Amino acid sequence: MKNNRLAYLLMLPALLVIAVTTVFPLLYSLVLSFRSWKLAYSSAPGPFVGLDNYAELLAGDSEFVASIATTLSFVAIDVLATCLIALGCALLLRRAGRVTSVARALLMLPFVMSPALIGISLRFFLNPEYGVIAASLGKLFPGLASLIWLAHPAWAMVALVISDVWHWAPYMTLILLGGLASVPKETEEAAAVDGASPLRIFVDITLPQLKPVVAVVILLKTVFALKAFDAVFALTDGGPGNATTTLAYLVYQIGFKYYDMGYAAAAGYVLTAVMLVLAGFYMRLAFKKGI
Amino acid sequence: MSKPCNPGVMTSRLARIGGLIGVYAIIGCILLPILWIMLTSLKTPRDVYTLQLWFSPTWDNFRTVFAAPWHLGDKLANSLWVALGTVLVAIPLAVVAAYAFSRFRFPGRQALFVGIVASQFIPAAIVVLPYFLMFKQLGLLDTRSALVIVNLSIVLPYSIWMIKGFIDAVPVDIEESAMIDGASLGRIIATIVVPTALPGIITSAVFSFTLTWNEFIFALITSKQNAVTLPIALVALRTERGDLWELMAAAGMIIALPMFLLSMTVQKQFIKSLTQGSVR
Repeated sequence: MKNNRLAYLLMLPALLVIAVTTVFPLLYSLVLSFRSWKLAYSSAPGPFVGLDNYAELLAGDSEFVASIATTLSFVAIDVLATCLIALGCALLLRRAGRVTSVARALLMLPFVMSPALIGISLRFFLNPEYGVIAASLGKLFPGLASLIWLAHPAWAMVALVISDVWHWAPYMTLILLGGLASVPKETEEAAAVDGASPLRIFVDITLPQLKPVVAVVILLKTVFALKAFDAVFALTDGGPGNATTTLAYLVYQIGFKYYDMGYAAAAGYVLTAVMLVLAGFYMRLAFKKGI
Repeated sequence: MSKPCNPGVMTSRLARIGGLIGVYAIIGCILLPILWIMLTSLKTPRDVYTLQLWFSPTWDNFRTVFAAPWHLGDKLANSLWVALGTVLVAIPLAVVAAYAFSRFRFPGRQALFVGIVASQFIPAAIVVLPYFLMFKQLGLLDTRSALVIVNLSIVLPYSIWMIKGFIDAVPVDIEESAMIDGASLGRIIATIVVPTALPGIITSAVFSFTLTWNEFIFALITSKQNAVTLPIALVALRTERGDLWELMAAAGMIIALPMFLLSMTVQKQFIKSLTQGSVR
């Protein structure tokens, strides 16, 4: 079909809405990031300060530097944990069967559950006095019995990872199951008949064919981890101290606790730049066969 | 009677049992936390602070959250209004735009589509600053319309992307023959494309609804009192007197259960769309 003018006409309403709701705010924040505007003192936009906000950030704002380190460690642990668990689940759920198909259907539940609710629930489960997970783990590993999870920097991070993995691993499992469905069973079966161990079959036959899907999963999870906000707010509030204050959370704090709009926009743009680079990688992977 | 076991059969049987245990572990990891919250929502405050499994269930928590000062009913109405409003605006626009992307080869098509997909990668924190300032100026802070506008920024690109995948899978032949018969494009979309891609469109609508329903950061920042949605009402139960767990559990069930039911209705379609790689 050729009529191009018609195509533009069809897209016009959607593109207008996207221009107003996404492109305009993005440009607005870019301009904002060159301004000094402390909303607590004045509701009128402050003066332009050029690159001062960025310079201040990169010249060693200790909170900013700390949040970068926190973000990197959160993303690394979270992506690794989610992908390994999702891969394990996908391999387990690959087989046909009544129980597996029930389990596959249940994978939808964590994904449609509000991350804020997941965060709140985990906070409850980890409560030192009456939290069910804290108590069970304390029974299993006496060393953990007196641990106050969310008061301890490293364990608070672990808790944050747990809530994020619980939310995302099932979704990633579904994507991996989709990838596994297109891996032909015959080669694997032939290798099994020849006496190859399940591990060898997985490493030498299954994994290489699954690589493109695994790459998509890693990339998507990285993006979602960088964006993570709701669970941080509901579970740790960035604490204890700033042990779980990721960059996305810091932008919110600068903007809506200190009301420093220009500085928040600059910090936000650092995050946005990282995301757009990742988006580029994603497009390459996802649209290899064309759009 | 079982046959005598050779080692190969033994290991494969062991592997099957191990696999089954693993599958049950997955089911447990998903269901147990949800069940615990469900039980907590039926407990009296005193029972919440014990780990006992046996207690006499009560609906009191649900009564409490719907009464003053929590008024969860109003928040529920806001959530419904915002989610429905967003979906009703987004899905028709997405269907026609997705149709254009799927069926036409116009200049700039690739760049536009890449831009639409890329917009999903933009962190909410960076768009929420200008939204806050703009809505403040326009007097739109704390209104449901403001929330519809911001949610469109997430939902519209996502549904264009998803619905395009579903329309791609619809064969073009019928449309072409209808066009030869002189049917208008509007007619073709309404009578051929939409009905054939309907399961996919419904799936996208359900997921857009879920995204909006669970949306947190925009609602946190732009609503204060009148437009508060359920997730924000949930975190508001962390009061100065401490966390009101039994009420949080009740509110949590009101947030989660409708989404569980809704997602089950489109589960097959959604999984299909994931496995075909149309949405990732």
